[in-house]
Amino acid sequence: MDDYLLGFLVGLGAVLVVAAIVKLVIRKKPMNLTEKAEYLSKRRARMLPVLAVIFLSQQAAFLSTVNSPAPHSAYSVKISAWLVLSIVILAALATKGFWLEPKEVRDLIDDENTRANRNEAMRWGFLFSMGGAIAVYALTLFDVTITARDAVHIVMTVGIPAALIRWGMLERRAHRDA
Amino acid sequence: MPERLANRLKERRGELGLTQAELAERVGVTRKTVNTVENGVFTPSATLAIKLALALDLSVEQLFWIER
Repeated sequence: MDDYLLGFLVGLGAVLVVAAIVKLVIRKKPMNLTEKAEYLSKRRARMLPVLAVIFLSQQAAFLSTVNSPAPHSAYSVKISAWLVLSIVILAALATKGFWLEPKEVRDLIDDENTRANRNEAMRWGFLFSMGGAIAVYALTLFDVTITARDAVHIVMTVGIPAALIRWGMLERRAHRDA
Repeated sequence: MPERLANRLKERRGELGLTQAELAERVGVTRKTVNTVENGVFTPSATLAIKLALALDLSVEQLFWIER
C-alpha cells in the first residue's frame, strides 16, 4: 500500500475512533437538548488546549526529523497523518463542529457567544500565521534554506495552536461563573 | 472613560426565579452565553438583547443601559 495512503488511513482511523468514543460516552448520559449542548460545550473548552498540545507535539516530532535520514515510508505516513489532523482541526475551527450530533444540538452549541469567541480565535490564528510567515521570510534573508514544505509546516505550527489555545481560553472564561 | 453595556439580567432573573439554564432555554442559547452577558463579558447582538428582554418581560432599555 502507498505510504501516503497508509498515513491518511491512520489519521482518519484515529479521528473516527475518537468520534465513536465521544458518541458512546454521551449516549450513556440521558440529557435534554440544552444540557447536552452545555455538556459538549464545556468538554470542547477543556479539549481545545489538549488538542493544541497534541498538534504541537506531532509538529515537534516532524520538525526534529527534517534533516535526519529517516526512512521515507515513516516520513510519508507521518506527513499524511499530520495532514488529516490539520484538516480536521481546521474544519472544527471553521464550522460548528460535533458533526455526529443532531442539527439542533449543533445549532445550539454554535450560539452567539461561541461564534464571537471562534471569530476572535481565528483572528489570533491568522495573526500568528502571518507572524510565522514573516519570520520564515526573514530567515531566508540570512541565507537559511527552508523548503516550501517546511515553511508551510512552520506557519501552521504557529497559527493553528494559537487559534486553538485562544478559543479554549475564551470558552473557559465564558463558562466560568462571576 | 470607556463605555460598557450594563444590565440587570441577574436581578430580574432572580425576581422571576429563573436559573441561567432556564433563561438560556427560553431564549435558545447556551447557559454560557447568558452567563457572559450577565457578567458583562459579552455584548449581545440587538436580536439577543430583544429576545432576553422579551423572556424577562421587560423592555430592552429597562434591561440594558450604557454605563460611562
